[in-house]
Amino acid sequence: MDMNEIKEIFFQECEEQLAELESGLLKLNDGDRDPETVNAVFRAVHSIKGGAGAFGLDDLVSFAHVFETTLDCVRSNKLEPTPDVLKVMLKSADVLADLVSASRDGGGVDESRSRGLVKELEALAHGELPSSSAHEAPKPAPKAAPAPAPVAKAETPKPTDDSGFQPIPFSFDGFGEDEEPAIEGSVYEVSFKPRRELYSKGNEAALLLRDLSRLGEMSINCDTDALPPLDKMDPEASYFGWKISIRTTKSEDDIRAVFEFAEWDCDLEVKLAEEASSDEELPMVPVPFDLSILDDSSGGEEEKGAEQGVSEETVAAAVSAAETASNVSRAARAVEKKESAAAAAAAQNNAAAAAAAAGQTIRVDLDRVDRLINLVGELVINQAMLSQSVIENDATGTSAVNMGLEELQQLTREIQDSVMAIRAQPVKPVFQRMSRIVREVADMVGKSIRLVTEGENTEVDKTVIDKIAEPLTHMIRNAVDHGIESPEKREAAGKDPEGTIKLTAKHRSGRILIELADDGAGINRERVRQKAIDNDIIAADANLSDDEIDNLIFMAGFSTADKISDISGRGVGMDVVKRSIQALGGRISISSRPGYGSTFTMSLPLTLAVLDGMVVTVAGQTLVVPLTAIVETLQPEAAAIHSFGANQRLISIRNSFCPLVDVGRVLNYRATQANPVEGVALLVESEGGGQRALMVDAIQGQRQVVIKSLEANYTHVPGIAAATILGDGRVALILDVDAVVAASRGQSMKPEMSLAATG
Amino acid sequence: MAAKKAGPGSLKLAAVLDLNEASNLHGKLVSMRGSDLKIDASGVERVGVQCAQVLVAGVKAWEDDKKTFLVEKASDAFQKTMQLIGINHENLVAKEI
Repeated sequence: MDMNEIKEIFFQECEEQLAELESGLLKLNDGDRDPETVNAVFRAVHSIKGGAGAFGLDDLVSFAHVFETTLDCVRSNKLEPTPDVLKVMLKSADVLADLVSASRDGGGVDESRSRGLVKELEALAHGELPSSSAHEAPKPAPKAAPAPAPVAKAETPKPTDDSGFQPIPFSFDGFGEDEEPAIEGSVYEVSFKPRRELYSKGNEAALLLRDLSRLGEMSINCDTDALPPLDKMDPEASYFGWKISIRTTKSEDDIRAVFEFAEWDCDLEVKLAEEASSDEELPMVPVPFDLSILDDSSGGEEEKGAEQGVSEETVAAAVSAAETASNVSRAARAVEKKESAAAAAAAQNNAAAAAAAAGQTIRVDLDRVDRLINLVGELVINQAMLSQSVIENDATGTSAVNMGLEELQQLTREIQDSVMAIRAQPVKPVFQRMSRIVREVADMVGKSIRLVTEGENTEVDKTVIDKIAEPLTHMIRNAVDHGIESPEKREAAGKDPEGTIKLTAKHRSGRILIELADDGAGINRERVRQKAIDNDIIAADANLSDDEIDNLIFMAGFSTADKISDISGRGVGMDVVKRSIQALGGRISISSRPGYGSTFTMSLPLTLAVLDGMVVTVAGQTLVVPLTAIVETLQPEAAAIHSFGANQRLISIRNSFCPLVDVGRVLNYRATQANPVEGVALLVESEGGGQRALMVDAIQGQRQVVIKSLEANYTHVPGIAAATILGDGRVALILDVDAVVAASRGQSMKPEMSLAATG
Repeated sequence: MAAKKAGPGSLKLAAVLDLNEASNLHGKLVSMRGSDLKIDASGVERVGVQCAQVLVAGVKAWEDDKKTFLVEKASDAFQKTMQLIGINHENLVAKEI
C-alpha cells in the first residue's frame, strides 16, 4: 500500500468522521446531552487531526487541534454546549470539512474565516463566551496548586502538537517558564502493556517509548515474564510490558499524550510516584537521552520529522486508522491466521481480531461493484436469450428444461436485486451536506432557518446519490433565499420567525421520492406569470391553471428574484435542476400554497442500471417504454379518434380528450401517420403533468431490461434515452417519453428544449 | 528483507526488524535450534519490539538447550533500541537473564 493509497483512505475516513461530527453536533444542538455523543464528536475531530498530522497537513492539524481543545472542554463539562457555542462549532465543522477537501483537491480555504473561528474557539476554550460557565480553563487552574506538579501541568503543548497553538496561553505562562530550567519535575510511574492490536495496526511500542523518553529522565524495566518459550510463541503477539519511571516537568496529560494514538490498544497506567521513588524495587535500566540515531533509522517518508512533533507514531496512527477499515476485509484471513498463528509468515497488517468484531462492513472499490453489475446485466440478458431459444425449439413447453429455466430466471432476478443492493446507499450524507448549506446561506441572508430531515436512511443507488446533490443544493439555496421570508415578514404574517425547511426521502413504488418543503411565502403566481409574459415564455392572454403557473419556474431562463443575489440566481435556474433530475430518469414537480410555502417533489429511479419496461413494436422496430411513465394501455376505437387541425389527433378517453402521439412518426420511422385503430395507445404521464396517448403498433410484453448507455456506446439520439439488449440478442432502444411528447408539440427534440417542457 | 544465513550456526539480522520480520526471524531461530548461534546485528537499522521479543525468547531457548547464543556485532541502533525498551543487552549475549 503506497502513501497515496493510504492518504486516499484517510480522506475517505475523514468524510465519515466529518459526517459523524456534524450529526453529533446537530444532536447536541437538539439538546442531546449524552456524553457518548460528545465523545463521538471529539473522537471524530481527534482522528482527523491524527491522520492529518501523519500526512503533514499542517493547516488541518492546527485547526483540528484548536477545535479539539474546545471540544475537550465540552467533554469535560467545562463548557456548556449552548446554542451559541454550537453555532461556532458547526461553523468550525464546516471549515474543517473545507480544509479536508482543500487538502485533498488542492485549492484554498477562506483564511479569514478559519482564523476568525480559531479565535472564537480559543475564546470558548477559555470560557470567554458569556454563555459559557464563568472562567474555566481547559486545564486545571493553577492558582490553588503548590510547587512542582502544577508547574508541570501548566506546561503547555501536547507533544503531538506542532501547530504553534498553545491551548492555555495564560498569564502564568511566564511563571511556568521561570520554573522550567530546574530539571526537578516530578516522577511519574508509567505502566505500559501493549496489546497485539497495537502492533497489528502499525504502531510500534519502541517508538512510543522513545517519545516518552524525550519528556524527561527515564528508567525502564521490561517485563518479559509473559514471554512463552520460543517454539510456542507467536512472533506477532505482544508479550512485553514495561514499568517506566520518568522524571519530567511535563504533566500527566503530556505523558498520556504520547500514547494518545495507541491508548485503545494498550493497558496504560500513569501515576505520580511517591517521593523518593527513584529507589525502585525493580531493576531499572536508565535510558540514554540521546536517541538521535533512532530518528534517522526509523524512516517515515512524508513527515518532516518535526521535533516532538508529527513523527512516526502519527504516521503509524494514520496507517492504522486507514487500515482498521481495510483490515476488516482481511478479517477472514485474520481468522485463519489465528488458527495457525505460528505458521503465519511475512504477511503484513494482519488484522486484529478486534477489527473483525468492530465492523461488519467492507470497503470495496466502486469499480468492482460496477463490474459485477455489468456482469449480472449480461447474465440477465443471456438468461433471457437462453430461455427464448429454448421456447422456440421446444413447443411443448413442459419439459424439465423449462422448469429449470424458470428457476434460473428467478435466481438471476434475485442476484440482480442483491447486486443492486450493494450499490444502494442511504441518502444521509447528501442530506447532511444540505444542513450546512442551509446554515451558511441562512447566515448570509440573515434568516433563521431550521432544516428538518426525515428518512435519511432511505437507500438509493450510489450514482443517483452522487448526482442528486447538486440539484438539491440548488433547490435548498433557492428555498432559503426565495422561499423563506425574512424573520420580520414572518412575524408580521404571524409565523414563527424561524423558518423550517423539511427534507424528506422515502420509497414509493420502486422509486425514491425526495421532498423539499419550506414554510415560506409560497410562489407568487402573479409575479411568475408576469415574468413569464415578459420573457415571452407564455402569451399575455394565456389561460393557465395555478399548477401550470407554478411549473413555469422550471422554464429555461426564469428567475423571479428581483435582484441577482450571491446565493441563488447565478444564471442557473430551476430548469437546470429539472434537467439534472430528468437526466437521472426522475421527475420533479412543485406544489405551492401562497402564504404556506412550497413543496418540491422529486421522484427518482432507485437504480440507473435496470428498468422495467414495456416492449413495443413501432414500424417494425422494437422499442422499450419505461413502465413508470405508462399510466394505462388501451386499444383505440375508431369512434374515439378525433381529428384536430391539420394533422393532430385526439383520443377521447372517459370523456376527456388526450392528444394522440404517433411514436413512429415522431421518430421518423415512417412518413405517414399510422392508423390508430390498428395499433395500441399507451397513456403516459408527461413531466408537466398532462397526459398523452402514445401510438405504437403492438405490445410485445413487459420485462426488465438492462440499461446500456447510448451516449457511451454511440451518441445521443433525440427521443431515445438509452438502449438495451433483448433476449434474442437484438438491440432495442429505450424511449425518452418526455422528449417524444415534447416533439409531438412541434418543439425540436433537442434535449434542453424537451426537458424544459411544462404543461 | 529476510534474515540471511551467514554461515552454519550464525545469523545475520536484517536491517529492518519490524513486525513483518518478526515471523521470519522466529522461523529462522526455530530452525537453528540445537547448536551454538552467533548473531550479527551490525547491519540493523531499526528494531521493533516484536523482533526483540523473538530474540529474547531465543536467548531463553538457547539457554535451556545449554548452547551459546551470542550477539557478536551490534549496530548502534540495535543497542540503543534494546536499551530504550529496557532489554538488558546482556540478555542477548546470554550471560544471564
